[in-house]
Amino acid sequence: MNSRERVLKLFKKEAIDRVPCFSGMGNITETGINKLGYRFAGIHLDAKQMADTAATTYKLFGYECGVVPVDLCVEAEAMGCVINVYPHAEGILYPTIKEKLIHGEDEMNISLPSDLASRGRVPLLKEAIRLLKADIGSEVAIGSYVLGPFTLAGQIMELNDLLKLSFKKADKVAKLLDVMADALIIVAKEYENAGADYITVREMGATSDVLSPRVFKNLILPPLQKVIKSISGHSVLHICGKTNDIVTSMMEAGPTAISVEQKNDVAESRKKLGGDALIFGNFDPYNVLVSGNEELVRSTIRKCIDDGVSAVWPGCDIWPTVPPQNMIAMMDEINTYGGKK
Amino acid sequence: MADETRKKEILDKLRNGVIQYDEDACREGAQEAVAEGLDANEAIFDGLVSGMEEVGRLFEAQEYFVPEILMCADALYAGLEILKPHCRQMDLGVKGSVVIGTVEGDVHDIGKNLVKMMFDVAGFTVYDLGRDVPLDKFVEEQLKTDSELVCLSAMMTTSMVGMPKVIEKIKEKNPNCMIMIGGAPTSKELADKWGADGYAEDASNALKEAIKMVAFLKKLRDEKAQKK
Repeated sequence: MNSRERVLKLFKKEAIDRVPCFSGMGNITETGINKLGYRFAGIHLDAKQMADTAATTYKLFGYECGVVPVDLCVEAEAMGCVINVYPHAEGILYPTIKEKLIHGEDEMNISLPSDLASRGRVPLLKEAIRLLKADIGSEVAIGSYVLGPFTLAGQIMELNDLLKLSFKKADKVAKLLDVMADALIIVAKEYENAGADYITVREMGATSDVLSPRVFKNLILPPLQKVIKSISGHSVLHICGKTNDIVTSMMEAGPTAISVEQKNDVAESRKKLGGDALIFGNFDPYNVLVSGNEELVRSTIRKCIDDGVSAVWPGCDIWPTVPPQNMIAMMDEINTYGGKK
Repeated sequence: MADETRKKEILDKLRNGVIQYDEDACREGAQEAVAEGLDANEAIFDGLVSGMEEVGRLFEAQEYFVPEILMCADALYAGLEILKPHCRQMDLGVKGSVVIGTVEGDVHDIGKNLVKMMFDVAGFTVYDLGRDVPLDKFVEEQLKTDSELVCLSAMMTTSMVGMPKVIEKIKEKNPNCMIMIGGAPTSKELADKWGADGYAEDASNALKEAIKMVAFLKKLRDEKAQKK
């Protein structure tokens, strides 16, 4: 059973030989970038460089997926925001939004650009997915991701204002989130058509550290449901932070699997959701994988499996400066311990 | 000077105005405090800040979430704006200035703004560098202003890793400068490892840490007042 078969079978809830170790979020490494002789700042604007880099995590370490994009600004840029890729940065700086689309409450009434699929870097991403699939698609599942409606709205307008309006003028926010959902549906569809086997929806801004479970249910969930429902292949819903109170709602959004980070008590979530639910998680990609030693990596992977994750999967993007020996230790632990459960 | 009952009434109005995110009530309470000769520092600490402490507690208890905190902060500022010009200079034996900003690569500034608010309240001179701030700018600004405190904020793991460089550079040039880091991906371990003096992982923690600092300053002030 190769990695691709293993991951796709997992999504279909069919029997597999061991717990897979993969991600639906960014997982490129500096080791991979350097091996190719690329610069981090360059790979966001070049489909081939992006795809080449994304493939190295599998090629070098056996990590069981290939995922693009690398940054979180594709959709906002297509909607009309201006992004900064920090072209001259020496180290690793992820692109951010430089200029918002909405500058105040009175500008919230926006409509969807009719040519969204051909705006910004959406075409570049489609090309990157195609290249990645042609390169390693017979060996691993190819993943891509879009943001969740609320997280995208928080990029398109001031997050501060969005949060307050979620409380004061929920109907206005709901309307905006619906437009965001429509945008994300278009982008996700393009990614699927380009060959993505699974799409992760990253609703990172709607964590219960930030919003009450009530606001989550009333405001965040409906547009999220709409996006996930439109994904015809496998889908994963990722939310950061403390998610134990909302895992049931996350499942109600209708994804094939949910993804949680280290602040989630997975044993508890497993109890709540039952043995059949697909729960991906939940190691700390920085404090364990980057700054931890090999022993910490191994014990953390074992704990994830013991707690009952369906796939060992990081709580966020893997930070590129991850030491190669930690990646090797992670995959070795998966191979030895992952089949025992 | 207003009598004790009236004073309590005004302080309650300020406190509850913050808790119930009622900007108008805070404005009104502040105007009454000024008009009736209530000490502005007292109105800030025992009214507005006391309300914010309760907000921190409500957040902790998961009764309030970030939207509520932001609205409470707006209410606090509404009162502070009116009271601040009437504050007597706080003589604490420290100069009280702080450089604060979100590190380059990160455009999230909610936590940073909450911490900034508490320094504003405490009468610090705040040099707010904003967000997406190049690392060297923190070092430059600290040197230029000779601030005794630098606060670095990041919400994304992807931007936090610039922090140790700033800490190292500042400590190298000015070992006595205190550095506080904050944001979801930070931890006590990282703060220790990087040589930071304090950390706050989320808005509530940032608020608590800042309140702690401000409470400490208030204690100093009270002790001083007692000695006189």
